[in-house]
Amino acid sequence: MNKNNILRAVLPIAGLFVIFIIFNIFTNWRMVSNLPLVLSQAYVVMISATGVFFIMTMGGLDFSQGSILGISSIAVCILSKYNIPLAILGGVCTGAIIGGINGYFYVNRKIQSFIVTICTMFLLRGVIRYLTTNAPVAGSAALVNFDTIELKVGITVIIVLTAFVIFRFTKFGKYLKAIGAGEKAAIFAGIRTDNMKFLVYVLAGAMTGFAAFINVIKVGSVTSSGGSQLETQILIALVLGGMPISGGAKVRFENIIIGSLLYIVLNSGLTMMGFSTQMMQLIQGVVFLIFVAVFADRKSIQVIK
Amino acid sequence: MSEVRLQVEHLCKSFGITKAVADVSFNINKGEVHALIGENGSGKSTLTNMLTGIYTIDSGKFILDGKEVNPKNQVDANNEGISIIVQELGTLSGLTVAENIFLGHEDKFTKFGIKNTNLMNKIATDLLKKYGFERIKAGEIIDHYNFEDRKLIEIVKATYFDPKIVVIDETTTALSNEGRHELYKHMERIKKSGNTVIFISHDLPEILEKSDTITVLRDGVYIDTVLSKDMDEEGLRKLMVGRELEGDYYRKDYGDSVRDEVVLSVKKVSVPGILNDVSFELHRGEILGFGGLSESGMHEIGKAVFGASYDRSGSVVLADGTQINDIPTAIANSIAYTSKDRDNESVVMNQSIGDNICLPSLDKLTSKWKFLSDRAMNDFANEYAKKMSVKMVNTEQFVSDLSGGNKQKVVLARWIGKDSDIVVLDSPTRGIDIKVKQDIYNLMNHMIKNGKSIIMISEELMELIGMCDRIIIMKDGKISGEIDRSVEIGENTLISMMV
Repeated sequence: MNKNNILRAVLPIAGLFVIFIIFNIFTNWRMVSNLPLVLSQAYVVMISATGVFFIMTMGGLDFSQGSILGISSIAVCILSKYNIPLAILGGVCTGAIIGGINGYFYVNRKIQSFIVTICTMFLLRGVIRYLTTNAPVAGSAALVNFDTIELKVGITVIIVLTAFVIFRFTKFGKYLKAIGAGEKAAIFAGIRTDNMKFLVYVLAGAMTGFAAFINVIKVGSVTSSGGSQLETQILIALVLGGMPISGGAKVRFENIIIGSLLYIVLNSGLTMMGFSTQMMQLIQGVVFLIFVAVFADRKSIQVIK
Repeated sequence: MSEVRLQVEHLCKSFGITKAVADVSFNINKGEVHALIGENGSGKSTLTNMLTGIYTIDSGKFILDGKEVNPKNQVDANNEGISIIVQELGTLSGLTVAENIFLGHEDKFTKFGIKNTNLMNKIATDLLKKYGFERIKAGEIIDHYNFEDRKLIEIVKATYFDPKIVVIDETTTALSNEGRHELYKHMERIKKSGNTVIFISHDLPEILEKSDTITVLRDGVYIDTVLSKDMDEEGLRKLMVGRELEGDYYRKDYGDSVRDEVVLSVKKVSVPGILNDVSFELHRGEILGFGGLSESGMHEIGKAVFGASYDRSGSVVLADGTQINDIPTAIANSIAYTSKDRDNESVVMNQSIGDNICLPSLDKLTSKWKFLSDRAMNDFANEYAKKMSVKMVNTEQFVSDLSGGNKQKVVLARWIGKDSDIVVLDSPTRGIDIKVKQDIYNLMNHMIKNGKSIIMISEELMELIGMCDRIIIMKDGKISGEIDRSVEIGENTLISMMV
């Protein structure tokens, strides 16, 4: 078990390093020279993954993140025609409301989180398709002006850092871990677990709603596929970062950062090497399976369903 | 001397750095009840778990009737003629009684891949009849039976095929008096038939009465094997602990610390199907005991006071008028609760000792900027873990690695750290060895001297009589009697009120 813990801590970092070097050798150091481009894919994943990290820490899952990003992006585009701060706020609120819907069905109706979020994923994907039937939803022309590296890096760093401090140095993080490690015992230790669970879904929705702004400033419009696959990207990123799927006491905040970077490097590396999309999905699937198999915390899962 | 059935030779098992069983060797004979005793974490369960295929053996071997056995799982062990009745629930929910009895041995009823359920039920019915448990129906889903009946079904499951060795691990603590007698009867029968019972229990009088030979383990090391008829409780305790213990470890005083001041009043509390119109008051400095049969509703009292009951009516009110209706309010108002279901409700198993201790006190540990520092938590956890002398590597260790007694110490450390004024202890010494028991009793004494109040719910009558200022007996969800602390109370007085 101890060996496994060390493996879980070291493998992602070593993996990130090795993969980065390997891809650079294969692509003749094009990755280093195109670093801003490579990183540009990381912002949204990293911000959304932070919210999902909280959810997974307490033992839940969320498959609706891609759809949340899509809907929120549409909201940002529409509202951006009036006022940019309003657009950002609109995105956050849209995400928070959808998170609230997830939370309501999960907490109050007592349905497993992955079922609830798969339902909202399909439902919202339908809404996105409907809203983009005739043409992509375009935002204000001013949006693309915000697309600077400084802004994106700045915002991402601030969000991730704030989340880190809250998770690591307040009781919020301790409570989440306790819920993930043993919900019943957490209730008996005086944690209002239902409130926490609801709040975390709202928070994760709001964070992805905010990420929608960063998503939109890249191209200034949303198509019917806006935000699709984000949920899988997040899940792969977190697992690559060494996150145990069942959450609990063994999660570490580093999982998000290393995992997101690892995923992005893998993804862009494969693109730069000229792999087709189909081939890339296949490779990602294999890598994902290997990591889950290595990191699954079998001791804390009493029954494999 | 009778013939040797099982030789244990140089057996070892480690978990990480902890040596749970270290080079243990001894013999167990045919036709005897062989007790295995020792404190929590002394390696009794580890040893029998290896014998029954639940754990793998690190080194050493078991020789059963001259042949080495190394079962890979429980079914394998059954085929070698070894079975076990475990401490907690050992039957599977959702299956029928018959399916549970024949779990892992379905082949006998299967032809061309199809299970003959009728035949299985018929044989199970015959078996249940033979054991005198006619009221249990073989075809019924096992969930329809209570804990006690499910234990009886386990007895059938573990013994119907006349195994050479039956391990009974700490089963009696979970049983009522009738259940125990049923179990004793079957132990006797197994012994008469020339087979062997390995009996694990913390109840020394029971051990002395029911076993022939006793093997003592301490910290994973073999200490001695003695004959029951040559031993008394005092002697066993000495062997187990390795030093002299005071013979009497209950309270000696008679109600000195109880004051008139009422700290908690419970008024007309009902929980559908469990509690019916229960009212009582708790005084400062008092230990108020609750006794009764397991199903009498007494365990729900603790949950009701802690705000953890589902669908409760009536009121739980503190001296200052605060109503307790949920757990966070209870904790905020200095009420603590340790559950009978320690592993699920008291400790967060897959979390560190430190986090477990700090969990309810995080508000106290945060700085005025709402931040938690690792050092503050660490110091806090260490202080109270030390105060309770939790046996651990460090506070980073996971609670799931600890023995039952140590887990209970972690729970108590948590509430002492919270400095709770009203402490509800449900079965605080369940499955816990004498030394830790004594620590817990001392702690309780210390608490009431400091003006704290305790509600102790227990199935052990001696413990209630020994520790409580007042004992309330529950029956069918109602209070059926109340008795004040005095020298004259005996177990029989209480039993007459219970049934």
